[in-house]
Amino acid sequence: MNGAAIIDREDVPRLAKPRIETVAQRLLHEYEQHRGAVAPPIPIDEIVELHLGLTIEFMDMRQLFGAGDVHGALWVRRKRIGVDRSLDPAESPSKTGRYRFTLAHEAGHWRLHRRRFLGRAPDVSAARGFSGPASYLSRSGEARMSIEWQANYFAACLLMPRHLIMAAWEEHFGAPRPVTLNLLRERLPGARTIEAISTYNGDPDRFPDLMFESVSRPLAALFEVSSQAMRIRLEQLGLLLRRR
Amino acid sequence: MNRVCENCAERPTRAAAECVRPIQSTMSSETAFGEFIRARRLECDLSLRRFAQLVGVSPTYLSQIEQGNLAPPTVERVTQMAVILEEHPDPLIALAGRVPADLPSIIRRRPIEVPELLREVNGLTAGQLRAITAQVRRMKQEGSEQ
Repeated sequence: MNGAAIIDREDVPRLAKPRIETVAQRLLHEYEQHRGAVAPPIPIDEIVELHLGLTIEFMDMRQLFGAGDVHGALWVRRKRIGVDRSLDPAESPSKTGRYRFTLAHEAGHWRLHRRRFLGRAPDVSAARGFSGPASYLSRSGEARMSIEWQANYFAACLLMPRHLIMAAWEEHFGAPRPVTLNLLRERLPGARTIEAISTYNGDPDRFPDLMFESVSRPLAALFEVSSQAMRIRLEQLGLLLRRR
Repeated sequence: MNRVCENCAERPTRAAAECVRPIQSTMSSETAFGEFIRARRLECDLSLRRFAQLVGVSPTYLSQIEQGNLAPPTVERVTQMAVILEEHPDPLIALAGRVPADLPSIIRRRPIEVPELLREVNGLTAGQLRAITAQVRRMKQEGSEQ
């Protein structure tokens, strides 16, 4: 593919989850030291452009890379983040969460992987126009590749910091206790409708996801992320449990 | 934020927004305007999305302007951008390759004398033009006192 990501997948350093979370926390802390304490939603546009010095540009990724599933790209030497125009939050407010996650994801590549890129492939993203190869491309459905997984985990930690999620959870649910699927099945208004819909759609395995996403919605709105991203984060933090 | 004008040796404490000075550029007007807007909004601590909100346009549109992919916006929009960025509108309007909105009506009011005056002053230095402007202001003031 034209402009494909150039990182050698087998050569990706294996970063453990706590390490990635620490790097994300440190970035947030640096930002707060310069610009004061943050509250949800995390000001990701300002972190990316004003603190990291990466300029955001909207572009037509399909035209640029010949692939329709590219959401974002990072040009390390040019210090540019490209975002696909379909994610413009003013033109498509429902994409706001996806837009913000894309910025945080590219910030993750910048903080976790850029030295690797600079050290091994000099000049590859420099000097040419934007049709030149991007250092990192972020495509939907690519999350299992470890470098993309790391950037996603970084994005989740940055946009949904542990301490702010815990505080919001307690405020919303009244206690720092996890919620189980069984409890939701009994208590969540609309649980039967969700179950009926997933059965009707022939996808009963989606039922837990849909239940959890329904519960995640208020926090997702507060942190301006998708309810899917919030559900995944709440499960990571052990606040939503599939089994007792 | 009240920047101090670095180009204004006579009155170094003057706020930059009050100081009219040309924005130098050798690039095409699309590229020069876009790059200036981007650099200036970052100086003003405004993200792309926030600045677009303040101007009332979409981030995609603003981003196309910054990348030089679209012609600079209308005089009204450029003026609005100048106010937000604490710049004097006239040099920014010139950088956008446009003419300030009040000039056509000034020319129409004196269709012989004003074009003649403009052609005559064409080629003078900035200092000479400032001297003429000062002279005109004195003339107007004396006129209003009489």
